[in-house]
Amino acid sequence: MKNPLQRLCIACCSAGLAALALPAAAQASWTALQQSHFPGKTLEAAPFIHLTAPSRAPSGEQVPFAFSIDHPMTAQQHIKSVTVFVDENPVPLTAVFHFNPQSGKAEISTRIRFESDSPVHVVAETNDGRLYVNAATVRASGGCGGPVNGDNPAALAAAGKMKLALDGPFKKGSVNQARLLIKHPMYTGLQRDLRTNGFRPAFFIDKIEVSYNGKPVMTADTAIGISEDPFIQFGFVADQPGSLQVRIRDNAGTTFRQSLEVGG
Amino acid sequence: MRRLLWLLLAAVAAQVGAAPLRLEQVAPGVYVHIGQHKDFEEGYDGDIANIGFVVGRDGVAVIDTGGSYAVGMALKEALRTITRLPIRYVINTHVHPDHVFGNAAFVEDSPRFIGHAKLREAMALRGDGYLRKLTKQLGSAAADSRLVAPGETVQDRLSLDLGGRKLELRAWPNAHTNNDLSVFDATSGTLWTGDLLFIERTPSIDGDVKGWLAAMDALDKLPAAATIPGHGPVTRDKHQALARQRAYLDALLRDVRASIRQGSGMLEAMETAASSERGHWQLFDVVNRRNVNALYPALEWE
Repeated sequence: MKNPLQRLCIACCSAGLAALALPAAAQASWTALQQSHFPGKTLEAAPFIHLTAPSRAPSGEQVPFAFSIDHPMTAQQHIKSVTVFVDENPVPLTAVFHFNPQSGKAEISTRIRFESDSPVHVVAETNDGRLYVNAATVRASGGCGGPVNGDNPAALAAAGKMKLALDGPFKKGSVNQARLLIKHPMYTGLQRDLRTNGFRPAFFIDKIEVSYNGKPVMTADTAIGISEDPFIQFGFVADQPGSLQVRIRDNAGTTFRQSLEVGG
Repeated sequence: MRRLLWLLLAAVAAQVGAAPLRLEQVAPGVYVHIGQHKDFEEGYDGDIANIGFVVGRDGVAVIDTGGSYAVGMALKEALRTITRLPIRYVINTHVHPDHVFGNAAFVEDSPRFIGHAKLREAMALRGDGYLRKLTKQLGSAAADSRLVAPGETVQDRLSLDLGGRKLELRAWPNAHTNNDLSVFDATSGTLWTGDLLFIERTPSIDGDVKGWLAAMDALDKLPAAATIPGHGPVTRDKHQALARQRAYLDALLRDVRASIRQGSGMLEAMETAASSERGHWQLFDVVNRRNVNALYPALEWE
């Protein structure tokens, strides 16, 4: 009898294998993305980039997605950035996460949008410029252009509110996991606006910066492919008790801050 | 001889074009077609919701029209085997495609299309996506399907007169969707709940669970000799059916909240939440996963 997490892992691994043989249309999208984002570069297939995503998502709006990269995270040798593409989305570039040795491990758990069935490609860049890639395929739809539910003024008024919490008890000297929740409508620019008979303007968080005791641990450049009310789980190394600080910015330039005292 | 054969073939072809739906008489003048429990993703044919009509002295009110023009036409064919009275009203219980795409089949009868005050907006927001999806699901069987918005909407209550027979329409606050409408036929004591009540098929959430539970309390208190749910068989025991639905929604809320508290994550909750209810419902895995996926991000902000 397998526990649910093991079952999920099997689902995600088989999704990863399926991605190795992309259908022609999906392959064309990925080829174009590679050419525009990594011209002239070689991307090495990397099974040590572990992906978790449902092979079939009940909705394209809030698709749980995680990557975890088995790679050293020392000053000499570490993953510097991880770029996430949902190939078939209107805006495929979903987020770029920046890591450093203080991150502990290059891993993120979040929720992303799928407008249609699509591969999700994850490209990791090391500090010495090597590029690694892995992919999974998800069946889902309607995540980017689907209807906006809920009340627009209320969503705008609450935008920027955050919740920040540790996942489990504080572990001094090792990698801690923190969960960040951001209240934000993350309007994609592709959602109908009945008042204007056009589209609601894009309005989204485009930057997330996290530091611990003043040292950066993770930064993310985020786009409309991140789901409404963003959820980001990330790691950080804590040598001693201290202050975890988050600063976020939306595409209108407004910034918001949240902090959490840990280990005290 | 050959001519006779052609006539026979033509007659058969005509019947295939609009084979009347199978109807069940719930009470004198109250007819329903019970939809099948099929999912939207697997073998969907547009005929999964309960749809039907009430016949008065002067006219007919259709209550929900099915998931395609073809299903709407088949409902009308069935209706015409019962009565030649004019179709005065087409009432939609909510925006979901399995209940409304058949509206198009009734346009030529010029009825008054009636729905919740928020139905028009919901149709406008979702119409394009619904039609794209329907075409993908049904292919050529989606032909001529389109959404027909209500010409008349219900803010709170509305009474319709079919001639010696009154229908009481009631608009609900955000529950299964934000545009749920129930219909009560006082003459026979029949209550049409739309998707405020599911029997057998796993209840799906597209509105507000707490609002839905409140609506269920109110429905429980309404007198009804027979209750027609949005999905599943007609019941004479509304109280028990509501209790079963409440057990599912309570378990779902309890387990999702516990998962959020423990931080075990949405993906795991999609596999495990409300699993104590799995044996009681059809299409449980697919619908329950969808519910958790919709509910989890919202409940994180409680």
